[in-house]
Amino acid sequence: MSFTIARTVDEALAALAAGARPIAGGTDLVVGARHGKAALPTNLVAIDRLDELKSVVTTNDGVSIGALVTHHDIEMHPLLGSSYAGLADGSALVGSPSTRHIGTLGGNIMNASPAMDTGAPLAVMRAEVELRSVRGSRRVPIEELWTAPGKTSAAPDELCVAVHIPAPGARSNSAYVRLEYRRAMEIAVVGAAAFVALNDDGTIAALRVGLTAVSPKIFTGEFVGQIGRSVADAAAVAAQVSSEQATPISDVRASDTYRRHTVGVMARRAVEAAARRAAGETIAIPVNRAIGIGAAS
Amino acid sequence: MTATIKKQSKTPARRFVRADGPDKVTGSGRYAADMSLTGALAAKFRYAQVSHARITKLDVTAARAMPGVFAVLTADDVPDVRFGGMVQDRTLFARDVVRFEGEIVAAVAAVDADTAQRAVDAIVFEYSPLPVVNDVVSALEPGTQLVHEDWASYTAPGVMVRKGNDASYASIARGDVDKALAEADFVVKSHYESDGCHAAPIEPRAVVAQWEGNKVTIWTSTQVPFDARAGVCETLELPNNRVRIIVPHLGGGFGGKCGFHYEAHIAALARVAKRPVKLVFSRREEFLAPDKRREGIVYDFETGVKADGTITARKARLVIDNGAYTSDAGFFSQLAAMHALGPYKIPNVFAEASLAYTNHQPSGSVRAPTAPQTCWALESHIDEVANKIGMDPVAFRKLNAVDTGVEGPSGQTYGEIGVQQCIDAATSAAGYGQPLPDDEAIGVAIGWWPTFASASGAYIKLDGDGSGQIITGAQECGTGAVMTLRQLAADELGMQPEDFELVYQDTSAAPYDMGATGSQTLFNNGRAVIAAAGQIADQLRELAANKLEAAAADIVLADGMAHVAGSPDRGVAITKLAATAAGGELLIGHGSGPPPPAATATGSTCVGDIGMTAWRAPQFSCHAVRVRLDRDTGVVRVLRVSTAHDSGTIINQVGAQGQVEGGVMMGIGQALTEGTQYDDQGNQRNAALLEYKLQTCADAPPIDVQFIEIYTPDAGPHGAKSLAEAPNVATAAAIGNAIAKLVGSPVRRLPMTAERVWGAMQS
Amino acid sequence: MSESFNLNVNGVDYPVNVEQDRNLLSVIRGEVGLTGTKEGCDDCECGACMVLLDGQPVNSCSYLAVQAQGRAITTIEGVMDGEVMHPLQRNILEEGGVQCGFCTPGMILSAHALLQRNDAPSEEEVRIGLSGNLCRCTGYTKIVAAVQRTAVELRG
Repeated sequence: MSFTIARTVDEALAALAAGARPIAGGTDLVVGARHGKAALPTNLVAIDRLDELKSVVTTNDGVSIGALVTHHDIEMHPLLGSSYAGLADGSALVGSPSTRHIGTLGGNIMNASPAMDTGAPLAVMRAEVELRSVRGSRRVPIEELWTAPGKTSAAPDELCVAVHIPAPGARSNSAYVRLEYRRAMEIAVVGAAAFVALNDDGTIAALRVGLTAVSPKIFTGEFVGQIGRSVADAAAVAAQVSSEQATPISDVRASDTYRRHTVGVMARRAVEAAARRAAGETIAIPVNRAIGIGAAS
Repeated sequence: MTATIKKQSKTPARRFVRADGPDKVTGSGRYAADMSLTGALAAKFRYAQVSHARITKLDVTAARAMPGVFAVLTADDVPDVRFGGMVQDRTLFARDVVRFEGEIVAAVAAVDADTAQRAVDAIVFEYSPLPVVNDVVSALEPGTQLVHEDWASYTAPGVMVRKGNDASYASIARGDVDKALAEADFVVKSHYESDGCHAAPIEPRAVVAQWEGNKVTIWTSTQVPFDARAGVCETLELPNNRVRIIVPHLGGGFGGKCGFHYEAHIAALARVAKRPVKLVFSRREEFLAPDKRREGIVYDFETGVKADGTITARKARLVIDNGAYTSDAGFFSQLAAMHALGPYKIPNVFAEASLAYTNHQPSGSVRAPTAPQTCWALESHIDEVANKIGMDPVAFRKLNAVDTGVEGPSGQTYGEIGVQQCIDAATSAAGYGQPLPDDEAIGVAIGWWPTFASASGAYIKLDGDGSGQIITGAQECGTGAVMTLRQLAADELGMQPEDFELVYQDTSAAPYDMGATGSQTLFNNGRAVIAAAGQIADQLRELAANKLEAAAADIVLADGMAHVAGSPDRGVAITKLAATAAGGELLIGHGSGPPPPAATATGSTCVGDIGMTAWRAPQFSCHAVRVRLDRDTGVVRVLRVSTAHDSGTIINQVGAQGQVEGGVMMGIGQALTEGTQYDDQGNQRNAALLEYKLQTCADAPPIDVQFIEIYTPDAGPHGAKSLAEAPNVATAAAIGNAIAKLVGSPVRRLPMTAERVWGAMQS
Repeated sequence: MSESFNLNVNGVDYPVNVEQDRNLLSVIRGEVGLTGTKEGCDDCECGACMVLLDGQPVNSCSYLAVQAQGRAITTIEGVMDGEVMHPLQRNILEEGGVQCGFCTPGMILSAHALLQRNDAPSEEEVRIGLSGNLCRCTGYTKIVAAVQRTAVELRG
């Protein structure tokens, strides 16, 4: 086994080109190896010290989040928490406080788990992932990044360096809600994110819903037919369609029947929360602990 | 909120800081896994990894030949001894047949853990599968595969009733239950099931063994050092005085570390390897291997009631999942039958319970064994009965619960007890009866639990500088019970708790104690310490009497002084007396408080009677729990738990509150998220903390703690009963009754997971 | 393959030579020789192995030791100020928040990290901040009280 610590992105890319695998916080990699899911790669390059990948930058058309920005940073970031709130909802729910401090956005999305909490909100916001290698750089719509559980379309020598999210526009926002049996330390049984844009009269101008842990990949749907309809109607339709389109499995966490039902509930709640935010209301991060059953009493 | 309703108490309220606290908050305290010895080898086990099979080949030749491997043991390498708490149905290593996935087939000691694991992987283990007994009810049906073909040949107490897969049958009968049911105005029948669950202490167990000559010292994370010693001596055929068990700090147990676990395997490895050997469990092993987890039970209840709300009859049939071996569960049947009757005055009863062998992990004493789940089922049933006759469930309990001077369901007449006061105190703190939002409800349950008397010993010595040591056989598993012994000694001697250090958890240093089991430590060892301190007090009074020219009977020990009664200025410091004694007759006390007289029950007839139908110093509790239900998903959140406990006099208030708060939290987990899931081959599906969900700090609600302090004669020190297990009994039941109010019917399976609650709402 | 490097634990550089796949927990316990950091599970679920890495809470069971080189590691043994207990240690003891003590080191480090970034946490913030540390004994009530009391004391 070889282990090197990259000082610059170019060093990291060179190491990847030579066959190394990147490790940032290592939260998925090290636990996965200990549980026999996948052996620790024999060649590792540590990328956790690449400060150039740790910033959140506002651009002309949105925001760019460095791959090494941690979930804690996202949860606490004023701009992300207000305008890209669904992502902050997701990051605030990841694992434990320590996982959120050490775990990075890039690590989360490249792990390609269908149960990841940041995936659905990024997907409904139509985020793009910037992959870089010694051969150059490219952007991939995030839904095209994931190909199967644990698999991405990135080449082995490509490093995720940033996630770009388009600006939401006026009267638009997002939310992510997940089903959890405890108020902390959970993995999504099912989850749903929604992006909502509102017309001035409060009706839907745009609606997208993304679903977590109900299919081999996180996927989204665009609800064009709901444009001009009320939030309540759109939320009800989103719930029904989400339950219909989900193809969940039965496992130790839940049956397929229960997942199919609850993902609809999550979708409805995500749409409602996103719409309230789009209308200007502040709902604290994360929605799960701000309102409803998980709210502090 | 914490409140105490004091009736009589001799003990002053005192802020209590534990003696082992500084070790624990600074990281300097050593636990078993922290022990390291020069040359120590690492141990690993080869587990069956199949629930039921006949061994066709077990070949350890290749494993033994591997470099770095010092010992590989199987059943052929240890004495052929069957052991077990009551039924001797177990061997150290599997012989011929494996009966659950965590059964040990072989053990390896090697230079490091990786080498040991490679050797484990090199063991050739072949088998032919046997039918898996995976369902507790069908386990008892005629023709079902026997888990133990040779059950009849096993040694067991003659009073036990055993047959085939039923390892222990017990019944309690009183009056004429069939006639009473026929004459009742209403009869309510209910069926419930509870899944098994785990003690899940945060410390996974560890064992280190080292031989010197023909003596072995074993450092181990056990709750019961003397029981562990007995197990080693029995299985390795050694006398007690050549086996020394030392428990470093113990990282929790909750019953999971009761009994005898792996000490003999590691000692046997160390003897063959001629090196110290250390075993440290992974969390997965902690879930799969020990023969202690809370037993799943299937319940059928039938209760007859008059229109005025008086219960006239109770029939109950329980089938308890024993798992593959009986461990210490032989008494569960009768205990569960008692819990199926509950703390109610019922003239006509018939309760029966069977302990069914299955190919699951063995069950054993986990914090109030059989009680929380049976209380959950019974108290759900009680609410159903109350609903049937249109009576408020709290009023129904007040009407039917036992009380001072009243005869209980097994025919025991109780002395002064506080169950009625518990109901009033808990429901009042919870605001029971006040309007609530429509997604909230308060459920109420009452519970009971015995105290266990046992032989127990302690020494105390007071050295020449006046500092004391309490050398006790008692085991501290976190509850603070051993820590509180200092207070008892100090009170007897007019000294301060800080004047004493504790020497404990070493079977070669101290006399016998049953261990941190049955909530018995203060109850029994407390009396021993008081007796030991009393001997020193007598010595001090003699010394002081000589110095002060007074009669010994007139000497009072208080505030570090011995003085003449009524003349506080005629005194001498205890440190001075200790210095005097150091040059003559040393200040040494020993105690072994004789158990208080046994309780009796009259008028009931019992099959499989092991003496559990009458309880000394019984404890009572009432929990009232406010919950919120997410009707869309079935997710339940506990908002507040209001408790009241009659555990007699409370000696250590802070410690006692901590026991209630911790017991409640464990009860919330049992109610909502903690349950073992099995696949169709009897293997656990959720043997990890992500899938077996303990409650987190973020889930913990405010918990009201109230003690109904009643000085209880013929009990523990200063009129105390016990406490550690009792707070775990009624929480899940109260949560269940709150959920039932919101759902409209009970959720009939424990844990009441979100999916099960949602399922109940659909039907 | 093993690698030699310095691990800075509680302000002291420890030269270690360990396999690259060793986790930080096993190196702190086995090589550095500090056993206050506990192993309670092996998958970031219990928090008993919590240490601070440059002040941030990290489950040391799931962090490679080699990756910690050049960073400041704080374990429970580094929380005391000489012979004087940190207020968190004293308060968790005095409030009765210690029972078996196995979760206590990790709990104190999580609380320490929480108070470093938020000197006046609400009860809810304390509960979320400690949610990665499982305690089976106490029901958490007295631990939360100790952290809140410490926050008040440290603010003066």
